[in-house]
Amino acid sequence: MEAYLVAMLVFAGLYALMALGLNVIWGLAGMVNLGLVGFFGLGAYASALLTTKLLWPMPLGWAAGAAVAAAAGAVMAVIVARLRGDYLAIVTLGFAEVIRLVASNEIWLTNGTDGISGIPGPWRGAVTPQQFNLIFLGIVWAAVAVAFVALARVSHSPFGRVLRAVREDEDVAAVAGKPVLWFKVRAFCLGAAVVGFAGALYAHYNAYIAPEGFAPLLTIYIVLALTAGGVGAMRGAIVGALLVLLLLEGTRFLAAAIPGVTPVQKAALREGIIALSLILLLRFRPQGLIPERTRTRASP
Amino acid sequence: MTQTRIGRRAALLGAAGGVTSFAIGGKAFGQGNPVVFGALPPLTGAGGPYGPAMLRAIQQVVEEANAAGGIRGRQIRVVAEDDQTNPDAGVRGARKLIDVDRVTALMGTWASSVTTAVAPLCWENRLPLFTVSGADSITLLPHQGFIFRTQPNSRLQISTGADFLLRQGSRRVFHMAAQSPFAQSSQDVLVEKFRAAGGQVAGYVVYERDKTAFRSEVDQIMRARVDTVFLNGYLPDVTILLRELFRAGFDGRRFTPAYAVNQNTFQTLPNEVTNGVITWQPSPDVESGAFRRLQTRFGNVEVDPYSAQTNDHAALAILAAAAAGDATGVAIRDAVRRIASGDGEKVDNVTDGLRALAAGRAINYEGASGPVDFDERGDIRGTKFRYERAENGRFALMELR
Amino acid sequence: MIQDWRDLVQVLVNGVMAGSVLMLPAIGFNCIFAVLRYPNFAVAGYATVGAFAGWIANVQWGLPAGLALVAAFLVAGAAGLLAEEAALKPLRPSGALTVAIASVALTILLENVVRFFFGNSLRGYDLPVLRDWRFDGIRVNPQQLSNTAYALAAAAALFALLAFTRLGRAMRAVADNPQLADIKGVDPDRIARVAVFIGAGLAGFGGMLIGLDTSIDPLTGFRVVLSVFAAAVVGGLGSIPGAALGAMVVGIGEEMASVVLEPAYRTVTAFLAILLVLTIRPEGLLGRRG
Repeated sequence: MEAYLVAMLVFAGLYALMALGLNVIWGLAGMVNLGLVGFFGLGAYASALLTTKLLWPMPLGWAAGAAVAAAAGAVMAVIVARLRGDYLAIVTLGFAEVIRLVASNEIWLTNGTDGISGIPGPWRGAVTPQQFNLIFLGIVWAAVAVAFVALARVSHSPFGRVLRAVREDEDVAAVAGKPVLWFKVRAFCLGAAVVGFAGALYAHYNAYIAPEGFAPLLTIYIVLALTAGGVGAMRGAIVGALLVLLLLEGTRFLAAAIPGVTPVQKAALREGIIALSLILLLRFRPQGLIPERTRTRASP
Repeated sequence: MTQTRIGRRAALLGAAGGVTSFAIGGKAFGQGNPVVFGALPPLTGAGGPYGPAMLRAIQQVVEEANAAGGIRGRQIRVVAEDDQTNPDAGVRGARKLIDVDRVTALMGTWASSVTTAVAPLCWENRLPLFTVSGADSITLLPHQGFIFRTQPNSRLQISTGADFLLRQGSRRVFHMAAQSPFAQSSQDVLVEKFRAAGGQVAGYVVYERDKTAFRSEVDQIMRARVDTVFLNGYLPDVTILLRELFRAGFDGRRFTPAYAVNQNTFQTLPNEVTNGVITWQPSPDVESGAFRRLQTRFGNVEVDPYSAQTNDHAALAILAAAAAGDATGVAIRDAVRRIASGDGEKVDNVTDGLRALAAGRAINYEGASGPVDFDERGDIRGTKFRYERAENGRFALMELR
Repeated sequence: MIQDWRDLVQVLVNGVMAGSVLMLPAIGFNCIFAVLRYPNFAVAGYATVGAFAGWIANVQWGLPAGLALVAAFLVAGAAGLLAEEAALKPLRPSGALTVAIASVALTILLENVVRFFFGNSLRGYDLPVLRDWRFDGIRVNPQQLSNTAYALAAAAALFALLAFTRLGRAMRAVADNPQLADIKGVDPDRIARVAVFIGAGLAGFGGMLIGLDTSIDPLTGFRVVLSVFAAAVVGGLGSIPGAALGAMVVGIGEEMASVVLEPAYRTVTAFLAILLVLTIRPEGLLGRRG
């Protein structure tokens, strides 16, 4: 049981990192990113390939994962910065699918749908599986803490204030002399880097990655986490991630208790409950559990 | 070789020991905790069309074993989690099964990515993983004997399939492959086989599995003027391809793995479209009762190969635990080869198997998916293949060898 | 791979067939967008619901395909209306993006409602599979031709509704300027409900057309969703003729890609089409600025 809880907390930490990254892009800069899992995948693949094929040390691989995702984020931001939110949602959704397809088809680089196995983990093999879990729990949550402190600072810095201004009204920010595009690119870059870093950690925790793991469902979980926690507030991202994991895992035990339904119906109920809770959250607590305190928007 | 021999001797000792302890333990043992096995089939996502039947097969075997008295008096319980055809969800599900339910064997993983992601958890926690995944790389993992794969690896499956096609007189084949871990290795084997026989793989297309239109791909098949098309995909996409090939008037041979055309296909497509499609799958002997039994249980319909395999997963795990007299993961792993091959009494169901083991006899389980003999890597070997032709919503046996 | 003009024509024909299947969900998507100004990702779910409603009408009640399509339209439209009123409408004050995200969740919910009642097995309609007709080597399938006809007829009916009826004029007025329309005495709420009903209904109609050409399961809508979005964006969000044109562009583009490029990269073509159009003409082929 403890091993399970520890493993789930590792996952929650990874989700929290992703939610923090999304919060910079969406929460602060107001650009929706439904291609989150694409950046997550880029980070995972970059680190996995560099550490297994070029035998880079792990911390360098993780940094590279973040860097590759950041670079992709920058390119993405330049292309989409001019677009309205609705276009942005569709373009980023498509981007993630493209990343998955490239990972499936460029076998020379990514080993295709076979995926990459045997990705090293810190002290894996030298310690017991449970010790490895605990070590990774420490690493992931340390990363969450660092990202949280750093991003909370960013959020309250002049940079963060400009981003919020851009989010609320781009034209006003532009008139005030702020280079809107440049701010958006930097925000996208920063957010993507955090998500890419999460991807890198994921790869080294699981020891294996494959294109199928980077399906849009994960993006939805993270959006759910951020919405639940409260878009804009960094604490909200972390609370939301924990809540989502509780929901994902809790529905297992809940579904098991329902009598008289087939296993497929249980599985359907589980996924349905998760989707329904997102809708209900948006309905009854649109500001999230932890609303953004500095929220400046006058009208909802 | 030496290793197997030692294994067998140890096995006999173990079995003897097990019987003694059973005799001594008597009723107390019978009232022990249930043995818990974990099933991790895909109930949602791309594997959705297969997972439910795979799980049903497992549950039915367990019910049968419980009715026969369970594993040395201990009842068996199956806990199932949905892997969502996604390695991330699969790992979380496996963690729950291993750490919360304390299962001592995992079975029924389908997607290669899920199996590869879950495999390290199994060997780290020292419990066997029974899988139907086809990627060749799976049994090459450093799994310390914990992986048992009932699906033949692509080399074995494709080379026997190619031999069959060549025997049937096929010389020009078009390989239409869904994007999967074994698309390229299948192609390599196919080219090698056809070239050696003076034939040719006249076209090779890897397609995206999730798409709903394959018209231009079918045009390529038509233009290639082949005598055979090999549809190396899965149920939803092969269903579309068969319809499109029929419309285009393709009159050559259509050859496909048995999991890509099954009972569900017959319910979806008219017979005139499916008639003549040839499928192949690993198979037990004709006289084997295991397959017939499973078919009866499924309501006398065609059984897809994945369900036949998970039927064997459950049977293997139960019989191995019974033979070892111990339901721990390591005990099951060590006993699987002992009850799956060798010169023991041939049994094709858990009831007979449990009875023979209780009587202290060695057994050799022959399953619904084949003789299920495993090599040292955990791949099946020595299996026969069954070639069938679809005729008016049923499969008619063409060849078994 | 393209050796003579016939191959090219064949690819174009294939593309039109593929595009006409995408057309109705894309039009439905844009119809909702035009009036409510948010991307409703639940069109995938509505398409699946429509496909299953059509299946019940066709296979269980024995209705011919044409009538089953009407059932698909009505049931999906009703499902859309219900979902909109119960789940999405209350979120409108929180902004378009909130509604869009809820609609993603709604799609997953609908997929699983269908899964709960129907399971994962593939289902086919009760329809003979017809052989292709050949015109000088170009193959055209009568079934697909009739699907295209159904799609065009549904699209034409919508055009006629918008062009010639009071309701249509009111819808266009709300799409152009909701405030102004309100002043003129058009009830924007009523128009929104009509737009959602028609939009979701068309998605359901399109979902059944997809099913007629393939087979259906709970993932039917999900499989085409990216191509549908691409068609809507390429044509111009909110533009109904744009969605029709965009569907053709994406349909032909995808078939072209599978010949020139690699079939495994079909979806990438749709994405490239989006990027290309947005770079050159951000409002889409037939969209309006602003």
